[in-house]
Amino acid sequence: MNPRAKIEKFLDTASRSRLMVYACVLGLIALALMTWSLFDQGWIPVMMAMSVGQGIGTLSFALFLVIVIIDLRQAEFRPSIAPLPPKPEDD
Amino acid sequence: MHVSPLSWIALTCALVAAVIMIYYLIYRPPLNGRVKALMMLAVGVLPIMTAMIGNLEGLQATEHQAFCGSCHTMDMHIADANDAESLSLAAIHSRTIKFGDKSCYVCHKDYGMFGYAMTKLGGMGHVYMFLSEYMWYDMEEALPKIHIARPFKNDNCMQCHSTTGRIWNGVADHNGLLEDLRTGTTSCASAGCHGYAHPFSKPDEETPSHAEAHSSVQNPSPEGT
Repeated sequence: MNPRAKIEKFLDTASRSRLMVYACVLGLIALALMTWSLFDQGWIPVMMAMSVGQGIGTLSFALFLVIVIIDLRQAEFRPSIAPLPPKPEDD
Repeated sequence: MHVSPLSWIALTCALVAAVIMIYYLIYRPPLNGRVKALMMLAVGVLPIMTAMIGNLEGLQATEHQAFCGSCHTMDMHIADANDAESLSLAAIHSRTIKFGDKSCYVCHKDYGMFGYAMTKLGGMGHVYMFLSEYMWYDMEEALPKIHIARPFKNDNCMQCHSTTGRIWNGVADHNGLLEDLRTGTTSCASAGCHGYAHPFSKPDEETPSHAEAHSSVQNPSPEGT
């Protein structure tokens, strides 16, 4: 199976709520790391916040975007303007 | 610990985001449009604001002595810089308001066009050296091994001491070495001139005499230098 097919299969079968749970857990870890540096400005908290913290936060946001992509793939788009009614044919 | 108003904004954003995420984890509401908009706020907008403010505050924090001194190998450098009795270049400069709590950064930063980025890159090098080697040493082991990565640039001294002032040019040694000092051939912070900025770390090297150091303390001359 090529990578594109793998991704499509993942998007078709992935559980949105499970992805959201992962996104939330990663988001909480990222926030903890980022806020740590606001109180303790030694090199470890500052560097952790600006590298690991933001990396995990980006991953969390990426998972949320995956959920949005899944929704968009499954959405049924309807035209915003209703099609014109068929013209009554002249008898 | 100093928490700026900006940090409180970041903290508020983080708290609101955390509350929303914890709410989701506990109640698991169906992901309809409204919940997704809320989660966009919790996972995207608010953490990004926290990260941006965190970057700002973090980069500012890197300019303070407390950041440099958070590696144990810098303990003696910070202690000397803040010693009111010390006559080292680092201590003399740290006592002035232009340097003060940021004396490490003001002296060691790169003043070039991309100075800020280059200084931060240099700092990453320090982190690498600390993690790969120096963190395992105690102070006595580390001190003889600590050395500046590149020779200290006279350009940094010349940010304040322009070499054009009357008092500065009145010093015979300055006059004789003017071009060498401007081009950096002779270092201001070298043995025979003003001595090393952190002389305790080079006990065998020549440092300025007490008389010379006292005269520079008693007659601070920022104007005309």
